[in-house]
Amino acid sequence: MDDFNRELEPHIDLENDSDSSEDNSSKGGKKSKFPLVKPIYGDQTQQNGFRRTTSMCRERIREAMLHHRWEEAAEYMVYYPQILEDRNLFTAQPSKEFIWRTATEIFHHHLNSTMEDYNTIYERMKHSGFRHYLMISLEHSFHLLLHQQIEDAKRHLASAESWRHGKETAAQIQNIKLIQAYRGLLDYIIWCVKKSTRSSSDYYESDSSQTMQNYFRQASVNLEEILKNPGVWDSFILRYVEMLEFYEHHKEALQVLNDYAYDSNFPPNPNAHVYLYQYLKRQGASEKRLMKVLKVLHALVPSHELMLEYSSLLLQSEKQSDTTKALGVVLEMLDFNCWGSNLEVWMRLKAVIQKLQNQVDWENIVGEKMAERKDWWFALHFTSFHATEDSKENPELFEVKASLTKILCPDRPLKYSLNGSQVKGKAETKKRKGRRY
Amino acid sequence: MDDEHTAEYTVPCAQCSAVDWGISDEGRFYCRSCHNVIERTREVVDLSFLKLSSRVSTIRGPRKKQAERGHVWMVCEGFQFILKNQADALLELGVSPQFKDDVLCPLWRCYLQKSRQAYTHDPVRSCKFRVRAVGSDSESASEAISCTDGESNPASTAGSNTENSGFWSGSSDTLTYLSARKKRSQSLLSMKKTLALIYLALVWSREALTLSDLLRLVNEGHIPYLNAYEQLPEEMKVTGKDSLIFIVETVPSHHAVHKEAETIIQFLQLPAFPPVSRQTLLHPALLSLRYLSDVNLPDELHPWVCRLLEHTGMMDQTLHTFDPHNHPTLPRYDLQAAALIIVTLKLFFCLDDMTEWHLSNDLGRPKDSGKVFNLRRWYKVMEAALIQAQERRDQNVSRKQWKSKKQIYPNKKEKCSMIKKKRIAEQVQLCFEKLTSCPSGLQDVGPSSFIFCWGDEEKSDGPSLHHMKLDEVVTRRCDFLTPLNDMYWHPALRRCLCYNSHYKEVEATLPRSFIWLLQLFAFMFDVKPFCLYEEVLSVERRIFDTRLYRGKSKADAGASAEAAGASPEAQASLNTRTSPRMTRTSPRTAEVSLGTRASRRKRQRSRS
Repeated sequence: MDDFNRELEPHIDLENDSDSSEDNSSKGGKKSKFPLVKPIYGDQTQQNGFRRTTSMCRERIREAMLHHRWEEAAEYMVYYPQILEDRNLFTAQPSKEFIWRTATEIFHHHLNSTMEDYNTIYERMKHSGFRHYLMISLEHSFHLLLHQQIEDAKRHLASAESWRHGKETAAQIQNIKLIQAYRGLLDYIIWCVKKSTRSSSDYYESDSSQTMQNYFRQASVNLEEILKNPGVWDSFILRYVEMLEFYEHHKEALQVLNDYAYDSNFPPNPNAHVYLYQYLKRQGASEKRLMKVLKVLHALVPSHELMLEYSSLLLQSEKQSDTTKALGVVLEMLDFNCWGSNLEVWMRLKAVIQKLQNQVDWENIVGEKMAERKDWWFALHFTSFHATEDSKENPELFEVKASLTKILCPDRPLKYSLNGSQVKGKAETKKRKGRRY
Repeated sequence: MDDEHTAEYTVPCAQCSAVDWGISDEGRFYCRSCHNVIERTREVVDLSFLKLSSRVSTIRGPRKKQAERGHVWMVCEGFQFILKNQADALLELGVSPQFKDDVLCPLWRCYLQKSRQAYTHDPVRSCKFRVRAVGSDSESASEAISCTDGESNPASTAGSNTENSGFWSGSSDTLTYLSARKKRSQSLLSMKKTLALIYLALVWSREALTLSDLLRLVNEGHIPYLNAYEQLPEEMKVTGKDSLIFIVETVPSHHAVHKEAETIIQFLQLPAFPPVSRQTLLHPALLSLRYLSDVNLPDELHPWVCRLLEHTGMMDQTLHTFDPHNHPTLPRYDLQAAALIIVTLKLFFCLDDMTEWHLSNDLGRPKDSGKVFNLRRWYKVMEAALIQAQERRDQNVSRKQWKSKKQIYPNKKEKCSMIKKKRIAEQVQLCFEKLTSCPSGLQDVGPSSFIFCWGDEEKSDGPSLHHMKLDEVVTRRCDFLTPLNDMYWHPALRRCLCYNSHYKEVEATLPRSFIWLLQLFAFMFDVKPFCLYEEVLSVERRIFDTRLYRGKSKADAGASAEAAGASPEAQASLNTRTSPRMTRTSPRTAEVSLGTRASRRKRQRSRS
């Protein structure tokens, strides 16, 4: 392919004329051999006419795109591809990516663009060099997917998967993984389609179940492989587990989910624990196992909505210490503003405290938990503003919260009461009236 | 043909003793009677090559047809075709035929001779060959490579030999052009030099085309320059290293071509040019009229420009004519004329960001404002037109197609990848062309001397102000018509020892309206504003040069009042306003005191 161009021979410029009798800086600066950071936006002084044209053209395309003048951008795109013929690879190389990305963006918005245009650009740019081959292949298949051409998309991915190009393959290893992953996903999609058609017709038709099995096997090979690489594979793992569950490979599914959640090579991912929890719940696992998963999730995301379930599980437990834990979990949830006006959480808090009150030293426990929050918690939940808001929006919540004020903060007068604000309000109106007369 | 090579070889054949030698296709000697091939090859006949080298003196020497590679040709032949095409394009644009036959042609011949490319017994390439013919072992490796001249091999074997040595080109003497030593010697042609030659020929024949016009025509594609090699005859194949000579990726700037032209004059040791008299269109007196009408300034300004010319002694034709003894610089006619207009405008309106607007304010109310020239109105009209024209030009620049349909491949290795790139670029282009249904290539603009178009017609840039009167800005003083404005500012005029322009440093301190004016003309000529600024300075130096001034008689007093300065107080007050670099002119004449008083009065008026 373009290997030949690699040995970038310095272009002998017979026509080199420096117009700059005024600035010495540009004269001294010979082009360095190192690749510039952003050679595509090279300085204006050393430009020749061709460079000037292409850089101006690029500016105009960008300007037009920024202002959503797609027609105009497309017009300028007619003149831009000549940069591909530039003998200087520093400018030619990045411009390939520019053309590919800009062209697809323009097509996306242009009224007259057809699928054929997309295919032309993707195919041309894919083969114009190997730098972006895999990336473009991937995006091409995304685009085909968007237009429901699943088989085509799969074909492109398959050909990209088998693409090899010396050292470049190693450089694009990440992309290869992605391509594998998406191929697995596509197999899953086809599997899904087959599944839905099958269930509507004859359930025991062996032919279609055989093809389904095939797709399952293809997908699982890819997905299993990809899940060995550390990373966030949320949407892939869900599909994989779904298929495994369908074929009742429960052990494997559990193994996959466990690895995904607990492998320390993987980046911490709360979703991994959520998926594991959901799977275990579907499988009707014991409360203890569920709580174990949720405990880890609690450490990662104390504000997760599953914490409600966690606290209810803790409440149901026999152990006394679990009730204290439940109090901690609910209070931590309430530390986050998003749960501040959630009735369910406050109800849970009330339930926890009610259960705690059976214990002897419940006041100590509550006081201990509240001690670290006393500076800011009341400003977060128990001001007169909250009182009026809550009573207006959700009277039930107001009542629950009001009933908790005394317990949470026995030694402090709280402004969280409707009367206080109403009285205050009345006093103010009186004052105003008094002033008026 | 063979006979002349074999004639000297009179040794009888070892097999049949006959003396009847022929040369085979591979260049080896064989006996014609018994077909015995001997060790001797044609390579030894180097003496005959020395004779051959005289062939170079005729450009259109005998050409041998080569399979698929066209004729053997010289680079200077290629340039000759290009020059001819350029000259023909100019003739078509209305340049007189004498330009081509009587000026350019002798100039070209003179050039070829001086650079020892033709019309000489000592062609530029043969000296190199001799080094090799002598065959001294001491010659360095690099020289040996550069000696692989296409000519050094007999034409019939040139094809195979040159390819083996990694050298590949259509013309026969490309390497000579590319060797660093020759390039340094400045005597060999380049595409830029073709423009410089054309420019010199234009100046010599005193055509009304200035350098900026020429470059504009080139930029607009009316004169072949970019991809000019496409128009070479079919038999002259441009390939390989020729690309480095004939492919251009830029149109050279005004500054560069002018410099190149001066170098050529030096190199050719040209005699004095025909005089550029007042009647010639290149003379500032007439050229300024053209520019005045192009920028929509009133015709009435022209006599004032002429007065300025007289005052500065620039009417003199020797100043505008190149002469190796009296005036050894090639004037920049276009820039000079523009500088004169700028200075005239400064005399009338001061252009210090204040006076000119005051003057236009005073004009705002008179009864027949429709006929009186108002600088503010002119500025508004001009500014709008300038922005439009700039946008037009930018559009054209960003839509220019540089790469030619007919490619030259620098070497065989790159050929396939270049073809591929070309194909990809074309397909992407085609894809968008289909999408936008817009025709590729530049929108065709007819060639014109004028950049703007004024009047009531459609597509004009604005209303014409040519007929406007200057009545309100001139006054009668001591029976002399002088501009109402009696102040003038100028930057430091002393020449700096360094050759760089200081425009960048002083730009921020110069009045905006002055800079705008510079930019306007710089846009028209497609030069950097600093070139124009330097030209304005040189006109101002002529005005204020005391040595020059002393030579003038009192008769010029009227004009000198234009250049009158202000009193020290006014100067001080102004210095705080503008930069310390700017100095007011010093009072010199009797009228000055009057002028000073008037200016002080005016200053007070403007303050109140």
